Amino acid sequence: MAGLSAVLLKDLKLELRSGQSTIALVALSLLILVVLVFALGNEGVRGPEGAAGALWVALVFAGTVGATKALLAEGENGCLRGLVISPVDRATLFAAKMMAAAIFMAIAEIAAVALMVLFFNLEFDARLARIVPILALGIVGFAALATLLAAVSGRTRAADLLMPILAVPMFVPALIAGVKASAGVLAGRPLSGLQAWLGILVAFDIIFVVSGYLLFEQVARED
Amino acid sequence: MSQVPVRLRGLAKSYGLKPVLRSVELEIAPGGCVVIVGDNGCGKSTLLRTIAGLSRPSGGEALLFGEEAWRLAGPMRQRVGVLSHQSFLYPNLTARENLEFYGRLYGVPKVGAAAGRWLERMGLAAVSRARVGTFSRGMEQRLALARAMLAAPEVLVLDEPFSALDGEGTTLAVALIKEAVAQRTAVAMSTHGRPPLSGFEFKTLRLVAGVLKPAALDEAGREAVTGARTGLAGSVDGGTVGGFAQRPEA
Amino acid sequence: MKRALTTGLGASGSALLLAALGMVFLYVPTEATQGIVQRIFYFHVPCAWIAFVSFALVAICGIFYLWLDQQVWDDLGYAAAEVGMVFCTLVLITGSLWAKPIWGAWWTWDSRLTTTLILWLLYGGYLMLRAMSEDTAQVARYAAVVGIVAALDVPVIVVSVRLWRTIHPAVLVTRQGGHGLEDPRMVATLLVSIAAFTLFAAWLLMLRFATLRTRTRLNELARHLALNELSRRGEE
Repeated sequence: MAGLSAVLLKDLKLELRSGQSTIALVALSLLILVVLVFALGNEGVRGPEGAAGALWVALVFAGTVGATKALLAEGENGCLRGLVISPVDRATLFAAKMMAAAIFMAIAEIAAVALMVLFFNLEFDARLARIVPILALGIVGFAALATLLAAVSGRTRAADLLMPILAVPMFVPALIAGVKASAGVLAGRPLSGLQAWLGILVAFDIIFVVSGYLLFEQVARED
Repeated sequence: MSQVPVRLRGLAKSYGLKPVLRSVELEIAPGGCVVIVGDNGCGKSTLLRTIAGLSRPSGGEALLFGEEAWRLAGPMRQRVGVLSHQSFLYPNLTARENLEFYGRLYGVPKVGAAAGRWLERMGLAAVSRARVGTFSRGMEQRLALARAMLAAPEVLVLDEPFSALDGEGTTLAVALIKEAVAQRTAVAMSTHGRPPLSGFEFKTLRLVAGVLKPAALDEAGREAVTGARTGLAGSVDGGTVGGFAQRPEA
Repeated sequence: MKRALTTGLGASGSALLLAALGMVFLYVPTEATQGIVQRIFYFHVPCAWIAFVSFALVAICGIFYLWLDQQVWDDLGYAAAEVGMVFCTLVLITGSLWAKPIWGAWWTWDSRLTTTLILWLLYGGYLMLRAMSEDTAQVARYAAVVGIVAALDVPVIVVSVRLWRTIHPAVLVTRQGGHGLEDPRMVATLLVSIAAFTLFAAWLLMLRFATLRTRTRLNELARHLALNELSRRGEE
């Protein structure tokens, strides 16, 4: 536990100091939303479907960049090696890295939601509160997946290319469920009517958090 | 029931197709100090990485306290301090923050005070609030040394501890190693040339063609290999460290 | 012994494939609603079956590799991923060829086609990971982890894609009509075809596996030679 909080607090402190990842993530989310508005045309993206879709596109791509960066920061001066041979076990290391990635993604998503409301002419109302648990589930799942895969791709050639190639297809079920559930909520449906989608998100999160926790050991160590 | 801190048996390591270590035999008892010398690229760093558990042997065993180093359990790793050729320090944290962070990971009691003492000792007190990214290579090496020794480890693995250090820094590092040995820490270290150690007993071994051989250094710092030319070729057990108890207690 | 097995698989697979081909074009009656195109079904389904089995094999080999740490499991998993990828591609191509006359489009986001596409992307990523890195034990572990996690993801993909399509109703006719194999000759043809493809794929797998084993052994040999060279230098 002490190890978990030490690593997590260290990551947050580093981020507070430079603000690099978060600012980059917020900027990237903003750009993705703008690009989507241009790409799909002013009319094409109106309504909850378009808004929800744009939000999740931002989540996937901002998350990919964020998680890669979070692990690359450990690469400087071989810090990841220092962590791997420290008394903190590798599963705890996974938990800490995943939490840090989730926190950065959550900050970017808050900004993205605010921008989405403006760009897509939605209202700030109770519907936005209901989107929170859906996004939270998506962020946890993606953070777990991305942390595991960033460790996998981190030491290969073309790491930043490989990471989205591996992560995006794996994220498809959560993406489908997340977009559908977000669109439903934005259209005014209650969460209780979206149980099937929430179920998929929960199942996805459980699979990737548990497998990441168990398998991180295998990808963190070196030969 | 205390185990030998460091024991290598028939240790072999290859990277891809390239063999680096062939059959390394080494044992370091508590308070023993082994200095490994050898040409560039002969595998000193690989050997120390393997002892530290950063690298997995391709053959044979690398044991720390009787357990395989590469999968040493978390709490056991508290007893091992490692200085690699990478500093493991975060450039965006200050010197103090780096020490406190690693102190927390290693369960050092009263981490703030311990970090303060080490910064003082290493002559870094004045820059304790400066980011490590602004440090010179020598200052970083001093801090990395403090990081490795912070938790008073029972095994200390030091890869080129004197690199980038100035005269004062070297004296300091030697004093620290001497103290550690006096506190019965088992030390495995590598140096580029002649180790500037004095005032305590240590054993110099030469890593050549993937095995360790006893080496004596003459005054000029050239290595006069004693073992290889006197028929000790092959897999020499160079590991018994003079003067210290090597008996693995049953 | 292993060579005999490989040859046997190759010979029997080829013979059965010829038989299946004959049955598909000469023996089986034309399906009433879809007409002649439906015959592609006898290739499409076996390919899908092989792809799924191969990807399951990738995950199983991954588990064994991480557990037992023997190179043979990595070689088998790699071979299975390559064979699976070939057949997964065939599923997409035959599905597309079938879809055009029946549904009027080369591609539809039908739940099965979509799932297959995502599988194709997943294992494409697996193969890219392997192609983009050296073959070290570390990369083998990475690949094992990706193979396991991808397989765990498959059920969630299937459920989510199916749900996605039902809630978003398809404009096109579902394929249900085409699957009623009312004639026993259709069942027979399908079974022969599945058997033929299974033997054929097993043969491909063995060939690929043998190649990878040879590579592993060559590497061991090269390592051995380099080690001897190193010890010879040590004697000097």
